[in-house]
Amino acid sequence: MGLDTLFVFLVLTSIVLLGSSLLNSSIRVVALQGAVLSFLPLLVMEPTWAGRAVFLAALTMGIKGIVFPVLLLRSLREANVRREMQPLVGYSLSLALGIALLVLAFWLAGRLHGIGVGISALSLTAAFFMMFTGLFLIIARRKALTQVLGFLTLENGIYAFGLTGVGHIHWLVELGVLLDVFVAVFIMGIAIDHISREFDHINVDELDQLKG
Amino acid sequence: MSVGYYFWILMGLPMVGAGVCALLRAPRSVLTVLIGAAAAETVVGAFLVKDIFAGAQDSVAWGWFYLDALSAYHLAILLLIYLLSTVYAAGYFRHELEAGVIRPGQFRRFGILWCGAVAAMALVIISNNIGAMWIGMEATTLMTAFLICVHRTAASLEAMWKYLLMCSVGVACAFMGTLLAVAAARGLPLAGSDVMLWTQLRAVATQMNLPLLKLAFLFLLVGYGTKAGLAPLHNWLPDAHSQAPAPVSALFSGFMLNTALYCILRYVAIIEVATGGAGWSLHLLQFFGLISIVVATAFILFQEDVKRLLAYHSVEHLGIISLGVGLGGIGVFAALFHVFNHSLCKTLAFFSAGRIGQIYGTHSMAHIRGTLKAHPVWGIGLFGSFLALIGVAPFALFMSELQIVFAAMDGRAYLALALFLAGTGAIFVGALKHAMAMAWGEPEHSAPALAAPASAAGITDTILVAGSLLVLLAVGLWMPEWYRSLLLRAAHIVEGKL
Amino acid sequence: MNLISCLHMAVALILAPLMLGVINRTKARVAGRNGAPLLQLYFDLGKLLRKGAVYSRTTTWVFRAGPLIGLAAVLGALLVTPFGKSGAVLAFDGDLVLFAYWLGLMRFVTVLAALDTGSSFEGMGASREVFFSALAEPAFLLGLVGLARATDAISLSTILPSISAATWLAAGPALALIATAWLVILLAENARIPVDDPNTHLELTMIHEVMVLDHCGPDLGLILYGAALKLWVMGALLVSLLTPVRYGVVWQDALVFLGGMLILAVGIGLIESAMARLRLARVPQLLMGASALAVLALMLIMK
Repeated sequence: MGLDTLFVFLVLTSIVLLGSSLLNSSIRVVALQGAVLSFLPLLVMEPTWAGRAVFLAALTMGIKGIVFPVLLLRSLREANVRREMQPLVGYSLSLALGIALLVLAFWLAGRLHGIGVGISALSLTAAFFMMFTGLFLIIARRKALTQVLGFLTLENGIYAFGLTGVGHIHWLVELGVLLDVFVAVFIMGIAIDHISREFDHINVDELDQLKG
Repeated sequence: MSVGYYFWILMGLPMVGAGVCALLRAPRSVLTVLIGAAAAETVVGAFLVKDIFAGAQDSVAWGWFYLDALSAYHLAILLLIYLLSTVYAAGYFRHELEAGVIRPGQFRRFGILWCGAVAAMALVIISNNIGAMWIGMEATTLMTAFLICVHRTAASLEAMWKYLLMCSVGVACAFMGTLLAVAAARGLPLAGSDVMLWTQLRAVATQMNLPLLKLAFLFLLVGYGTKAGLAPLHNWLPDAHSQAPAPVSALFSGFMLNTALYCILRYVAIIEVATGGAGWSLHLLQFFGLISIVVATAFILFQEDVKRLLAYHSVEHLGIISLGVGLGGIGVFAALFHVFNHSLCKTLAFFSAGRIGQIYGTHSMAHIRGTLKAHPVWGIGLFGSFLALIGVAPFALFMSELQIVFAAMDGRAYLALALFLAGTGAIFVGALKHAMAMAWGEPEHSAPALAAPASAAGITDTILVAGSLLVLLAVGLWMPEWYRSLLLRAAHIVEGKL
Repeated sequence: MNLISCLHMAVALILAPLMLGVINRTKARVAGRNGAPLLQLYFDLGKLLRKGAVYSRTTTWVFRAGPLIGLAAVLGALLVTPFGKSGAVLAFDGDLVLFAYWLGLMRFVTVLAALDTGSSFEGMGASREVFFSALAEPAFLLGLVGLARATDAISLSTILPSISAATWLAAGPALALIATAWLVILLAENARIPVDDPNTHLELTMIHEVMVLDHCGPDLGLILYGAALKLWVMGALLVSLLTPVRYGVVWQDALVFLGGMLILAVGIGLIESAMARLRLARVPQLLMGASALAVLALMLIMK
């Protein structure tokens, strides 16, 4: 029940992200998602791994819930960009596609759960839906910052999958994902910084000199 | 000294090199360190691979480092390309430093990242642990991202952003695939971290959860395929290749793409064992290979920038390699053969294009005329490598492509054969036109950006060009027995027959 | 059909306009005004019914039939709507589909009547109404399907009364999602803020109100009464979903239900006071969000 509620929260935050039109509220939603996600290790890891679970939870909370959002909000402030998303795909259509993605995730999760993956079909649904949402945001939003948010959501999905889908908790889950997210966003943050300084905007749409 | 130490030295040397580079101030000493590290690394690598080249089965250290015919072959290519590119970089950047195009600080950063990138790629090749392999791949992405924008121009930042975004998503997909592969082995009697060792996975492949393994492969193919530049996931590739400095482009095209493909091949082996050689993964590779060839053809025919042209050639040749592997049988052998041929040839092509770009101050093919007259050494290098790239006999690339044709006929894959021949045929004509236009004609007498190197062809340059072309010719005409047996063993590994 | 459910229906018919009174009074109080009397709508209805009607010469019988059929349709819906935890006057398997269709019919005739006037404003309103309803309907139906699945029944009078504390414990997140989705649908379908503003005077921003601009006298009375009933039936579904207690004693259950309706009315009043109307472009997004919630709820129930 508690676990189910957590997964529902994860799905809901992703839905909100799809419909959200303001950059800073999106960042906060991603932060919320990361914070919710940080409780996952505590709930799914066996008691023998309690120490690791607490460590992992604290790390997730710190990085995904606090550090990244703060950095992103700061770079948003410093880049001095318009607060709107300027989507390539409209919000209503995004939500409609989101529903389709949700159904797809549910179907995929059902199939996978059928062959013995994951603690529940819902956990896999949430994980896949976050991945799909992340990919969709990367593709369908114009701003560099939004793409970073999409990447974070994608990572969150993979993290959730790693925790709930792969029975034995592996060092791969903790090292891999955290390292990946940390480095990727860190570097992307720098890149945004450079790009905004270089072009006075962070519109990926205008990164269109290289063609053919 | 046991073989395990060599593995550690192999990993440690570039890192020490990077550390030393970080401490140095003068570009000239950074250059010396880079060349020294590359030479030492090559020697260590030679010690590692010599037994396997001579016929030994494999060498393992500590369970995590592992070298068999497949990885030894790739490692050898990596070190060769690395050494060549470093030597070339010395000449390339010397001119830029003199002309003030690049600042000493930027060059130092190049040195650090260059060493780091090689260490990361070596990690991918020699690790037996699929998790470590993934970490290596990710590190490669991060290191090379900054190598693209050594010059820090607007266009290079754009290229870096595209590269980083696409490849980070690709790497994330690959991570998902790795997780799924581990999940597929769940419940099997594997202790602790054994579940992530490639050798262990292959040993138990037949008992793994097959649907899950297949799903894992899809994720891995898309993830690592993005990194390998397989169409339609190749969009970052032409930008990154055209904006990076020439030595970096050479390393990208010459080996980084193959690193990613190597990871896919490792999983192909597991899938083939698990499915009992049903060829499921091979069909997928064949499909992506053909798409890459077709897409590359379209872009090569209407290309104006010489480095972008070469980048699309990479898409094409990686497509040819995947197609070869996908055809199975002799095709795998031919594809692996093609890996070396393409790497060497493409490296030479980027070397030449880079220097000619410096001389002419542009990469636009419309403005590059009469290279043979303007700079005979690099002119010959560019024209020769173009001939080899489009598959003129008797260069080695022609031989490997011919074998792929045989493989297609053996496997009765006539559609694939038709597409392959049509694609390479069109590229032959299209690229030859570009190459001839650049080679002959009168050089425009506009003020060149870097006039200095135009006249002086160093002895190193001549050796680089002549050596590469001669090797490509020699391997095309005659393949030593040890080389054949090495490739055969590597092909068997990919096909899961060992 | 029994006497008690008939009595319940009579209560609904009488109390429906009061709900709007409560909403308006809440809004007034929050805004610091005294507001109109609670029974204002009754007075309005009485006055309107005593008046004569004026019909434009361009209109046909469709225009006159609209309010009548609309009211009849919503009465039909009321027939199958359970009164809290006790069954409806009519109850049979599949009546939930009939319920949805009654509401659909009501909307259809309202739209037809609006189009019949030939006024561009009413056409615009009709277009918006149809667009938004098309988005709202899936969410509503998906919620119904979810509930049907959760309670293993396909009659409204079985589904809603059988939702108990145990159901909430078993499928709490799903039911909460459906309730949220339904609240959004309720606000959208009944032309409340944040979708539509019932008090607006600018035709360009109207949705529902603009469709009935040309009606007057008894026709307008019928429409207003129909709207009040519609709010009642949809509110009844939501309240039954949200009150998992069932005493089995008629007057106790009725009291719980009426209390729930009162709270709902106050709640709507508070929502309307706290929120501004959404831009029209954002409304589909809200409704899509509601659909997404309903889909998610259905998945949770089906898993």
